[in-house]
Amino acid sequence: MSRKIILWVSVAVLCAYIAIALCAPLLTPYSPTEITGAALQSPGAGHPLGTNDLGQDIFSQLVYGARITLLFGFCSALLAVLISTSVGIVIGYYGGLLDEIVSRAIDIFMPIPMFPLLIVLTAFFSPGVLQISLLMGILGSIYGIRIIRAQVLSIAQTNFVEGARAIGASDFHIMSRHILPNVMPVVMMKFVSSSQRMLVMGVGLSFIGLWDTTTVDWGTMIQNSYTSGGMALGLWWWLLPPGIAVIGISLALALIGYSFEEKFNPRVGVNRI
Amino acid sequence: MNLISIEDLSVRFSTRSECIRAVETVNLDIARGDHVALIGESGCGKTVLGMAVMGLLPKNARIGGAVRYREHDIIQAAEPDIQRIRGKEIAMIMQNSANTLNPVKTVGSQIAEPLLIHQILPAKAAHAEAVRLLAAMRFDEPERAAERYPHEFSGGMRERILVAIALACQPDVVIADEPTSGLDAGVKSQILVLLKQQMADRTLFLITHDMGTAYFLCTRIAVMYAGEIVEIGSTHDLLSMPMHPYTQGLLASLPSAGLHPIPGMSPSPAYLPEGCRFCARCPAATDRCSTCHPPLNDVSGTRQVRCFCYD
Amino acid sequence: MISGNYLAKRLCYSGAAFFVSVTITFFLLHLMPGDYITNYLLSLTNALPKETVMQFYHQFGLDLPLTEQYLLYISNILQGHWGYSYAYSVPVFSLIVEKLSWSLVLLIPATILGILIGTVLGARSGWKSGGKKDLALFNIMIAIRAIPEFWWAIMAVMVFAFYLKWFPLGGYTSISILTSGISIPDVLYHAVLPIALMTFFIATGNYYVMRNSMISVIGEEYITTARAKGLDERGILWNHALKNALLPMITITTFQFAAIIMGNVFIETVFSWPGIGLLTTEALRMRDLPLLEGIFLLDTFLSIAAMLVADVLSSLIDPRIRMGKDV
Repeated sequence: MSRKIILWVSVAVLCAYIAIALCAPLLTPYSPTEITGAALQSPGAGHPLGTNDLGQDIFSQLVYGARITLLFGFCSALLAVLISTSVGIVIGYYGGLLDEIVSRAIDIFMPIPMFPLLIVLTAFFSPGVLQISLLMGILGSIYGIRIIRAQVLSIAQTNFVEGARAIGASDFHIMSRHILPNVMPVVMMKFVSSSQRMLVMGVGLSFIGLWDTTTVDWGTMIQNSYTSGGMALGLWWWLLPPGIAVIGISLALALIGYSFEEKFNPRVGVNRI
Repeated sequence: MNLISIEDLSVRFSTRSECIRAVETVNLDIARGDHVALIGESGCGKTVLGMAVMGLLPKNARIGGAVRYREHDIIQAAEPDIQRIRGKEIAMIMQNSANTLNPVKTVGSQIAEPLLIHQILPAKAAHAEAVRLLAAMRFDEPERAAERYPHEFSGGMRERILVAIALACQPDVVIADEPTSGLDAGVKSQILVLLKQQMADRTLFLITHDMGTAYFLCTRIAVMYAGEIVEIGSTHDLLSMPMHPYTQGLLASLPSAGLHPIPGMSPSPAYLPEGCRFCARCPAATDRCSTCHPPLNDVSGTRQVRCFCYD
Repeated sequence: MISGNYLAKRLCYSGAAFFVSVTITFFLLHLMPGDYITNYLLSLTNALPKETVMQFYHQFGLDLPLTEQYLLYISNILQGHWGYSYAYSVPVFSLIVEKLSWSLVLLIPATILGILIGTVLGARSGWKSGGKKDLALFNIMIAIRAIPEFWWAIMAVMVFAFYLKWFPLGGYTSISILTSGISIPDVLYHAVLPIALMTFFIATGNYYVMRNSMISVIGEEYITTARAKGLDERGILWNHALKNALLPMITITTFQFAAIIMGNVFIETVFSWPGIGLLTTEALRMRDLPLLEGIFLLDTFLSIAAMLVADVLSSLIDPRIRMGKDV
């Protein structure tokens, strides 16, 4: 199967997810928390995926839940990448004391595990989804700073940076016009892989109750259906759709990330002597 | 009697988007005891040619022609047969770089390795031989050096280690790939002297871009350009009376001759021109040169040139 | 052997990381509305006689200035006095230790198996990268990793426990514990599915890293040098490729060991296995801050220890690190 086809299919899937999330109100007449009918109905007229134990329409929950799940994943990844890219470029470019300080700080922070810290902070602040996503973005940027910095170092040492300086380009100009485009491939790759990881983590954390269960997203859906004995009662239409939804986007993002990596790491598969 | 005979060798690499013609119909004979240099600029295909003689080309290489060594055709031979020859009868002094030696193994073990592979000596004796080789390569305290790791040595010393590895099994043929590149002038002359001494009884196939190195070590020179041999001759003849315009240009570009560079750039091996490949940069080019491809012709007994000037 | 200088440097960073985490937990505890003791006592009883509060204040040193409290806190941490859990009303430290041993029952076999399987498969895949087997395996691994852990757990429980009834639905023991006490075979029986799943997951991570490592090693020049010596494929693999390919594995693997305590959360929650993971979920549900902080500190210590071990091991294998050269 051609790699290009896989890439395009994955991108199409990703767009479909985003479209569904955006168009949620158009796809279903109910709000996700509205009690619309009898509890635990099987899929049928008016309820393509049936209802849950409170009588809420599962399909509505699915499409509205996409919003939170996707938002969480992409926001935290975006923030993480923004932070790690800007910090990485600045310290890689300027070097010197700034670089020393930040790098040593990162060395110190690296062993500190991100998720337990996230959980502790959440228990402390009881924040909403958006705040948790920001927190995760900040915590998740730490490792990326190192990577971007390494890239920047290898670029900053090449002569064209010297040349740009020689013609009087300002530091900011060099950083944004010369260095940034060169690290973009790595940045893109990180964004995609971070999105995937953070999205899946978000669903997982919501599954174990990181934010309150009245927020409807795929994680809470799975949690509710699992703890309500959804599977014991054979209610596959409640348990499976959110799970499959997560798998779908996770796979799509993973495959996109993989195609990127292939492109920028051409050694894979070709060089066997 | 020719020890190595390269016959009509062509090497192409096909990638997804293009076909790279690295080496095109090369014919070269190396007799026993010959010291032959292959001169060319980076990217002209000379390293690929060296690799072909060792049978070390990657799997995606399309190889045509033959490389005959004694009764074997290295290109067609089965891998186990070539492995028996590699390192033992034909050895290569690899192009020196930070990673040519395994960073986690001691230098001594890496020099002794060929001896163990070809079962010439048992472990202890091989180690002793490695130490002896290090001494021959002018290392002070060879026993201590053998216990050290590659990163502890300078470029020049690593080059000597590579020479020691190549010579470990006393091969008949040594292929030396850029043995002096990246070395300071003083270190370079040391290496050259060492090589001259060690190659006295052996057959040498030297691959280099450095005229001086070729002149010092070899009696015959082949000039390569864009994947083809464009001139062959004895060192003396070629350097005093270069015939091919490229050779002339090379000599003129030397610092000692006034540093006149050849204008333009060599063609990409993926997009080679019709006709003579040097045409675009040649001061003696005619219309014929851009459409017809000149063959390699004998000019005299030992001289061959690929140029319409000498038809 | 190991450069003393290098080791000292790493110890300093570890110490600094330790202090940072402890400082974070300290401040969070003290920034809580109301204070630690009031909150704790409130969870026990509704009415708070003033004398009792003062007593506790004094005992826990809450009437001391902040800096002294900080030092007291650190010495408490080092001695294992990690506070009291709101939800369970027992000391955090003993609770964590007890649950940790249950987690280890799952972790140790899973990690060992996972590392072995992942590394071996990754090495094979990397060595023959681009081949049919490699690509098939690689795609399978991507698919496995893309599916969230807890989903695998749920599916496993549904298929193997619920429908096929091969394994129990969860927990660590069956009802027989009430009559005949804990029986080891019974516990092991309950552990099979969670261990299998964890192994699965750990293996994919190791596979990926080992494969990449092997691929990049194969492209290195010293491999060509080895070939030029006449070494055959097996010889190159065992004498040159493996040692170099395993290097990054050490760091990753030790990291994994520390991180897996967290990833454990999903598996333990789904299987109701009474380990640290399940404890985390329940503590989270009840917003039990001292307990969560205790788990966080545990994780931090493990992570720091893992990094140190990784450093030491790496320096043993890679002479460049050993001698303090910047790799």
